[in-house]
Amino acid sequence: MVDDATATYIVENKNCFEDLKQVASQLAGLLVLAAAGLKEGTPDHPVLGAARELYREANDALRRSSPTDHARKHHAHLTRAAASIGVALKEAGSGLDIDAILIPLRAGYTELERAADALPGLEKIAYDRACCGGARIQ
Amino acid sequence: MNAYSLWVMEYAAVPNYPQSGLIYGMHNQGTRKLPYCYVVIKGHGKLAMVDVGYNHKAHGEVLANTYGVRGWRAPKEVLAEIGIQPADISTIFITHAHFDHMGNIEDFPNATFYLQERELSKWVWTMSLERRFRWLMLGIDPADILRAVDLARQGRLVCVHGDRENVLPGIDLHPAFDTHTWGSMYVTVRNDLAANSQSSWVFCGDLAYGYENLRGHDPEDPEYIPVGLATGSQFNLIMTTELMVKSVGGDVHRVIPPHEERLKDLFPSRITKAGLRITELALADGEKSQVV
Repeated sequence: MVDDATATYIVENKNCFEDLKQVASQLAGLLVLAAAGLKEGTPDHPVLGAARELYREANDALRRSSPTDHARKHHAHLTRAAASIGVALKEAGSGLDIDAILIPLRAGYTELERAADALPGLEKIAYDRACCGGARIQ
Repeated sequence: MNAYSLWVMEYAAVPNYPQSGLIYGMHNQGTRKLPYCYVVIKGHGKLAMVDVGYNHKAHGEVLANTYGVRGWRAPKEVLAEIGIQPADISTIFITHAHFDHMGNIEDFPNATFYLQERELSKWVWTMSLERRFRWLMLGIDPADILRAVDLARQGRLVCVHGDRENVLPGIDLHPAFDTHTWGSMYVTVRNDLAANSQSSWVFCGDLAYGYENLRGHDPEDPEYIPVGLATGSQFNLIMTTELMVKSVGGDVHRVIPPHEERLKDLFPSRITKAGLRITELALADGEKSQVV
């Protein structure tokens, strides 16, 4: 159980978590295209621009948020995730050097997983929109 | 003569899954057991699989507690029931990129993975859309994408463009674009190795969840009914079903939906100590049964 203030924090900051997760997915997706040698795997793929925009919004939201005591651990993980993903995004801007991007990206995603584990209501993937995980127990 | 032994290996299950999620339009008509399975193909000195299941470390607790998934066992334990180690698997066909089909990549260190190029490129394109389009991202685990980066760098990810015949002798890959997902595919095993095979099997991933998708509710008056979930279109699902059924000479029981519990009614099977079912579809010449 979480207190009301923490519940409010979760509701208000859920999109920040979701957006950072999406940025990590976008970068990983671009990397897999590049690593697999597909023609779409280039820095001018629109997903990189989308990732930058989303990252800016998520980072702004993160700076504005103020965690409760209960949410402090989650917030710390989310802050570290944002920092690492930011490094990965910056690296992607100077070419698709997979190692240079992948190392901070992986670190950032690990922090996101820890952030998800630190508070209820945050899922690493949208199970309720996945075909085989769609039957939520009432 | 069979070139390959074929087993459907259950690795987890949802005891009560709503029918409406599986068969288009079956609202308010109760639940059924939904087994989670992958397929093992053994023959010609090769070991291959169709899909690899989900990663319990990443998803197990949520799926068990929130969605009622029961009995998950690791590939090491599941495959040991038929005398195989994950490290023995050399070829894996990923029907689509949902977490419950490609989540266990890292458990198969020596395998080369085959996936439709469109499945990757369209997911990434989808990711470039704005937040309100996020439904199109359903079922994708960012961690799976990160693992796929490693696969690609190791030269173990083969991106297929459409049809590809004889990836292994008698084993073909066929695209099912814009159906259940952007770049789904199904796997055909011509078990007599003949070009015009009289002994074909289709492994359809989630292009069908059960026999109702393949023959409707009345076997005497068959019709195709799409699955309950499609990123692409129901029309494409139906037309793909026609191709799959035709490729097995009209015998729908040779189209294998891995989530179909009633495989046990048609093929020999056994339950393991862990409570999971092994269904034996075919045995290669000289191969010993794993279920009797």
